[in-house]
Amino acid sequence: MEDTIYDLMEQAQDLPGGAAKLAILEEAARLADASGLKELAYEVRGEIVDCAIFNGYPLKALIAFSWQLGQFDQTPDEYDEQELLWTYKWILGKVCSFPNIPKTQVEDLVEDMRKRYAEYGYNERPYQYYKFRIAMDMGRLDEARQYLDTFRTIERDSMSDCEACEQSQIVRFYYLTGEDEQALSVAKPILSGRMTCAEVPHVTLSQVLLPLYRQGEADKAKDHHRNGYRLVRDDRDFLKTIAEHIEYLAVADPVKGIEVVERHLHMALDYESGLEQMYFYAAMVGLLQKLDASGDSRLIRLPASLEWGKEERTLTEIIAYFRPLAESAAAAFDRRNGNTFYTDWIGKIVQTA
Amino acid sequence: MSQTNEYRFQVNLGGMIDILANHLYSSPRVFIREVLQNATDAITARKELGETAAESKGFEGKVTVELSGSGEQQVLMIQDNGIGLSEEDIHRFLSIIGQSSKKGADLLASETSFIGRFGIGLLSCFMVSDEIVVLTRSVKEGISMEWRGKPDGTYTIRRLETELPVGTQIYLRCKPGSEFYYEPAQVEESLFYYGALLPYPVMLSVDGETRRVNLPSTHWMQDPEQLRSRRGEVLDLGYRLMGERFGDFIPLRTASGRTGGIAFILPRSINLNSKRLHRVYLKHMLVSDKAENVLPEWAFFIKSLIWTDELQPTASREYFYENEQLDGVRSELGTCIRQELLRMAEYEPDRLQHWIRLHELSMKALAVEDDEFLRIMHRWFSFESTFGRRELSELIREAGGRPLHYTSTVDEYRQITHVAAAQSMLVINGGYIYDTEILEKLHWIDPALQAERLSPEDVSLSFTGLTQEEREQYYSVLRVMDAALQPMRCRTELKRFEPASLPVLYTISQDALTLRSMENTVEETTALFSNVLDSLKAGVQQNAGYSTLYFNLNNPVVARIFEATDTQMITAATEMMYVNALMMGHYPMNRSELGLMNRSVLHFINWGLGNGQNM
Repeated sequence: MEDTIYDLMEQAQDLPGGAAKLAILEEAARLADASGLKELAYEVRGEIVDCAIFNGYPLKALIAFSWQLGQFDQTPDEYDEQELLWTYKWILGKVCSFPNIPKTQVEDLVEDMRKRYAEYGYNERPYQYYKFRIAMDMGRLDEARQYLDTFRTIERDSMSDCEACEQSQIVRFYYLTGEDEQALSVAKPILSGRMTCAEVPHVTLSQVLLPLYRQGEADKAKDHHRNGYRLVRDDRDFLKTIAEHIEYLAVADPVKGIEVVERHLHMALDYESGLEQMYFYAAMVGLLQKLDASGDSRLIRLPASLEWGKEERTLTEIIAYFRPLAESAAAAFDRRNGNTFYTDWIGKIVQTA
Repeated sequence: MSQTNEYRFQVNLGGMIDILANHLYSSPRVFIREVLQNATDAITARKELGETAAESKGFEGKVTVELSGSGEQQVLMIQDNGIGLSEEDIHRFLSIIGQSSKKGADLLASETSFIGRFGIGLLSCFMVSDEIVVLTRSVKEGISMEWRGKPDGTYTIRRLETELPVGTQIYLRCKPGSEFYYEPAQVEESLFYYGALLPYPVMLSVDGETRRVNLPSTHWMQDPEQLRSRRGEVLDLGYRLMGERFGDFIPLRTASGRTGGIAFILPRSINLNSKRLHRVYLKHMLVSDKAENVLPEWAFFIKSLIWTDELQPTASREYFYENEQLDGVRSELGTCIRQELLRMAEYEPDRLQHWIRLHELSMKALAVEDDEFLRIMHRWFSFESTFGRRELSELIREAGGRPLHYTSTVDEYRQITHVAAAQSMLVINGGYIYDTEILEKLHWIDPALQAERLSPEDVSLSFTGLTQEEREQYYSVLRVMDAALQPMRCRTELKRFEPASLPVLYTISQDALTLRSMENTVEETTALFSNVLDSLKAGVQQNAGYSTLYFNLNNPVVARIFEATDTQMITAATEMMYVNALMMGHYPMNRSELGLMNRSVLHFINWGLGNGQNM
């Protein structure tokens, strides 16, 4: 049985991240579980977490990580704590995407991470930094501003996110608060190429578009859109970033936005994270409304995975289908977060009839 | 009347060389590229001069490299017959070197003038030599000059009395530890590596023997279409330059003609994740043999040789800047490849089929992006199906106008494949990358082609239902069975289906499967995470529904279970069948399922022993 499992893992290795790869890894995990091969099951789940988190399957990642953590706590000496603790941060980066997880549980998770980091001698920078990110995810921007001031005063250690990642989150903060000048100035080292990593500048370029556009720098915005969109367009990990490109195109070039919507809607339909899905639907509805209002009567091609998607649909029909989805998702998040952040946000980009 | 002046750069040259060697250039051997580049620039400059002055009508550029001496006395000389440097030029290039240390790599990127690049390129020679001597005579001045520089920052400039030929000679004395870079084979290899496509002779002279190193003719670079009629030659070139025996290629050319190339089709299948390593020349000089971004992502079945004069290299001159220009070039080159494949589809389907078989993933990736391409190519794509691995055209024929059924995951395919196969039902496995996307897009390229997603539950549609009479007869047994499996969120159904040897079929939806793995994980994780998973379960549960255990009345054992009257017996048998189905499908069991199995096994043993005693 071990051989079969290794074969499956090898097969998975040859595939790019995505549903096909996950299916094979899950099969391997099932086989390992069924044959009681704990260590192998742990290893496979590490691969699942890795693949799932970066390809739009955060629920699968969370399940696999939970299993790993339970196993680790039973026999901590058998496994590498560094890898596990590092992965913990990825999970925290996604927990807010599920409205079903209550706020107290999210907070408990961050405290649990804090405790575990302290136990292995790492400092509080990641803790404060994730408090900052989670506050942003929950639309509690005043809280976020406090954590922003705190985390930066703590020295970086080997559990800290890289400089580029941290910087990109700061850009995101000013993007959310609408402080355009701040956002652009914080984005500078990223735009100049001095700070980069696997996800930066990908996630940053989409967040300077509207600030630039609003400041009259339309050409620069266009350039960054072109570069940024190219970096993310084939990667399910960046659905929210793609949604931000759509939000920008709704203002700058709605007709081009249609292409982007048609190309990515199938990704959004099959996305495990409610938050990112909501972002996409809302941005898309905003864009389609712009076109609809301008008298554009084009038909949109929908993915066949949508039940009624086998026919071309009018803008009005599509808007009517997706707008309530975005709005009810926003309401669910707001209920959990205890504010009206997402409802307000949708109100801003979607025209209320 | 010779006069010597000593100067000193206002430069920490050691630091500069360190930047070059350790941070900017990938290997010391790039000094060959830099001196070749200097020679090329000098020749180009002289040619440009020739277009205005009568001086160099009929001028032919030429570079000669000479190796002499041995061991630490080894000297490498590079001579060109380009424009040469005047005394003023030398001072200017030195002042540019002076600025270099202040601005570091930025200056290397921004400096584009001939003199500026000359000086900077020369610095790279300090990686392999402790003394650089430049002898030069400018075509304009006619004065012969000598410049000697040391890495400590000191240099001398001297007017020579002897009359040099027009052009520049650079002498590099081997620095201890750099002997490798002075070996004749290594020098030849590097000259060819960087300068194979230079449009004038690059000669290497060792021990009085001189031969040409680069390609004798490169006029086809102007019009790559010419390459079509020179197949053998092109494939040989591919082997010499790319180190691989290719069997086929596609000429590349952008509309402006400023970028061209040869796209060699890889003769073997490659991993989707493997690096795309293209070899790119800028103005005839090699920039990189690891350029990944000059062709579109889907073109991973191509290894190409590209030449261009319109892209902007990065500071190290080893990659290109990702800008609008590159974007345009990339998409034009992609169009060349796509057009050629479409052309093959029309005129050489056999040749195309061969390449599709080898590089199906790449072609499918393109098809997902490009409807026109999908429309032409789809018939040749192959899919795994219950009828074996077949080309789509064949599957369409088999379907006979009915929709093509497919599963969207490998998992679902496995769940139903044996049943579907036994019933000669055509089902395609859409679980592999791109397959579902392609199947779902078929409709858009041809409305007559419909693909329908099949979930495991749908297979039951093809099962034979029971007669009214049977239904009544087995009603009470089914109720007992449902009650037994209710805690597992599983319901039972009784059908007749093939193969008869299969007693039960367990089907579960993707959401139910997720729910199952959540429940099993709750048992394994920490209290905190099991709370979190419990919170998440609510959302998943809504869509998950029940799994289904289909009993096959065609199976003799199943038929006997349904004849039984003992409720306990039926319950135990149902539980055993359920557990058995889980094991056959490699679904790990949770605690309650293991308990179930334990209980029913004991029950059967007990019952079996009891029976034995009675006999």
